[in-house]
Amino acid sequence: MKYVQYINELIMKKTGETEKLVLYGQNIAAGSHISGFTKNPKVGAGGLIINATNSENTLAGLGFGMMLNGTSSIFFMKQLDFLLLGIDQLTHSYNFIRRHIPKASYTIAAVVSDLGWHGLQSSFANFGDLCSIARIPGFTITNKADAEQIINTQLVAPGFRVIGVSQRLFGKELLEVKSISTNQDKTLFQYREGEKATIVSFNFSFPQSLELAEKLDEKGVKASLFSVNAVTPIDWTKIIEDIQKTKNLVVLDDSKSENLACDNLLATAYEKCKMDKVIALKREIRSNEWLFPNQDELVVNYDEVVKRLLV
Amino acid sequence: MTIENKTSIAREILRLRLSQMIINEKYKANLFKIPIHIAMGHEAIAVAVDAVLEKNDRLVCTHRNMHYNLAQAKSLKPILDEYFLKKEGLARAELGSMNLANEEKNIIYTSSILGNNLPVAAGLALGEKVQETGNLVVVQTGDGAMEEGTFYESLLFSRSNSLRMLVIVENNEWSMHTKISERRSEINISKFTESLGVEYRRIDGNNVYAYIDELRILRKQIIETRNPAVLEVDLVTLGGWYVDDGKGGWRFIHPHAGPLSKTELVEWPEIEHGPTDPVFVLKEDFSAEELKKMAEEILRGLKLEIGE
Repeated sequence: MKYVQYINELIMKKTGETEKLVLYGQNIAAGSHISGFTKNPKVGAGGLIINATNSENTLAGLGFGMMLNGTSSIFFMKQLDFLLLGIDQLTHSYNFIRRHIPKASYTIAAVVSDLGWHGLQSSFANFGDLCSIARIPGFTITNKADAEQIINTQLVAPGFRVIGVSQRLFGKELLEVKSISTNQDKTLFQYREGEKATIVSFNFSFPQSLELAEKLDEKGVKASLFSVNAVTPIDWTKIIEDIQKTKNLVVLDDSKSENLACDNLLATAYEKCKMDKVIALKREIRSNEWLFPNQDELVVNYDEVVKRLLV
Repeated sequence: MTIENKTSIAREILRLRLSQMIINEKYKANLFKIPIHIAMGHEAIAVAVDAVLEKNDRLVCTHRNMHYNLAQAKSLKPILDEYFLKKEGLARAELGSMNLANEEKNIIYTSSILGNNLPVAAGLALGEKVQETGNLVVVQTGDGAMEEGTFYESLLFSRSNSLRMLVIVENNEWSMHTKISERRSEINISKFTESLGVEYRRIDGNNVYAYIDELRILRKQIIETRNPAVLEVDLVTLGGWYVDDGKGGWRFIHPHAGPLSKTELVEWPEIEHGPTDPVFVLKEDFSAEELKKMAEEILRGLKLEIGE
C-alpha cells in the first residue's frame, strides 16, 4: 500500500466517526483530492465538507473562529507553503485561543512540498520552521506506526496542531514498521534498540534513517532508531540516555532550513554525553541549485557512514 | 422607543464618552504601560450594536475596541483595571487593550492585527451554522483594514457558504496618521459588495436611534436570508490636533494610539459642536439642561466606581 493511501484511509475512518466536524480546504472533494490525500472525504452526522475558496489567510483563521464556539474542524492544505499567507492566524489567533484549554479541535493537515521537482516553492520544506513560529504542536507522518498513533490520537482532539505529510513520500510504498515505544505526546517514537549507535531521524528523513539502521544491522552493528515527529519543545531525556549507552550518535535531517531541530539535540548531546563518534547528515547547500527543480533529497552514502561507525 | 429607553440610550453615549475621558486623563499622566486606542466619536455605533445584539449573538472587535468593551461591560472599573494589568481586570491582565475581549458579554474575540479578525469571525459564523444556533456574528473593521485581502476573502467565503455575518466598517478616513486620499484610490464598497451579492448599507450623522433602527432591519434580514451584509459607518475619531509641519504650515494629528493631549475631562463632555460628535447629536432629542444633568450624575457615578 502506498503512503498516501494508508494515511487517507486512516483519516477518513476517523472523520467519518466524528459528528459535527467540518472538513475544508481547496479541492478536498474534487479532482485528484489533493493527490489522494482527501479521497472519499467523510464526516459524521451534522458535519460539513467544504471545497473552499482560494483564500488561505481566511481559511487558516476559520478553524480558530470555529473553535470559539466549540466546533471542530480540519483544514487540508495542498501545500504547506500556502500557509505562509495565513501566518498571523497561526500566531495571533492561536495565541488568543491557547490562553485557555479549548473544547474543540482544530487541525491543519498540510502537504509539505518537499518534492524538489517543484522548484522554488519546495524551499519551505522544514516542517519545524512553521511550528516554531508560535510553538505550535506539530507532527510529521513518515510510516505506518506513526501514522496510526498520530492520526488516531491527534487529528481530532481538543486544541490546535499541524500535521505534516511528505509529498516526496506520497507515491512510495508505506514503511510498515512497528514502534517499540512512544512518548505520551506522540512526538518521539523509538523503533529499534541497540548497543552500538543511536540514530535519530528529523523532519521526513525516516526512510533514510531506517535504511541506515538496516545496513548497520547487516554488518552486525545493532543501533537504536528514534524518529522525532514534533519539532516544538521536546524532552530529549530518552535519546540522551541511549546515547550515553551507545556513545555513537547519527542524526539525519532532510530539511533546507538554517534552523534545524537536529542541532538542538546535538547541542544537548555534546553537553550531556561523552561520545566517540558524532555524524550529522544534513543537506549540503552551497549554491543556488537548491532553488531550481531537482531531485532534492537527502542523499546518504550509507557505506561511508557504516565504515565510519565501524572504525 | 419609550422615553425611558431613549434616556437610557442617551446615558450610555454619555457614559462611554466620560469613561474615555477619564481613561485619557490617566493616559496623559503616563499611568499605562500598554498601548491604548481611544475611540471618542465612535460611541453611537457601539451603543447601537449593544442595543441590537441578542443574548447569544457574537461580537468580534479590532485594536480600537474601547467603545464596544465599555458598552458591553456596562462599567469602567474592570476595563481600567485591565489597562493597569491588574488581576481584577476584565481579562485578568491577559489581554490589555488591543486584544480585549469579554466572552461573557458577547465580545468573543478581538485582534490587534489589521484584518486578522475577519477570517476568525467568518469561522465563528460557520461554527454557528454547524451548531444550527441562528446567532448573528458582528465583526468590526475599518477603512484601513478593508484594504487587507482578508476583507475580500472573508466576505467571499461568507457569501459562498451562506453565513450570518455583519461586517461593520467604521470609516474614520484615517489609517494611523494617513488619510484615505493620501494612501489609496477610493474603494466603492457599494459596487464591491454588489459584485459579491452582499447587502450594503451606509449610515452617518451619529444619531444613535437611527443607527439602532438600521441595525435591527439588517439583523432581521441577515438572519432570514442567511447572507452576510456590510454596514459602513462614517464617523470621526475625535480629539485630534494640529502641529507645525516644519514647512510653514500645519499638519493634523489624527488620534491613533496614545493620549489625546488637547482633550480635557469636563462635566459636559462635548468635543465637537456639530454632528461629528455623538454627544452633540443627543441635543436633537434632549434639552441641553437634561443632558448636562445626566452627564453630571454619570461622572459622579464613574468616579465613585473607580474610587475617586
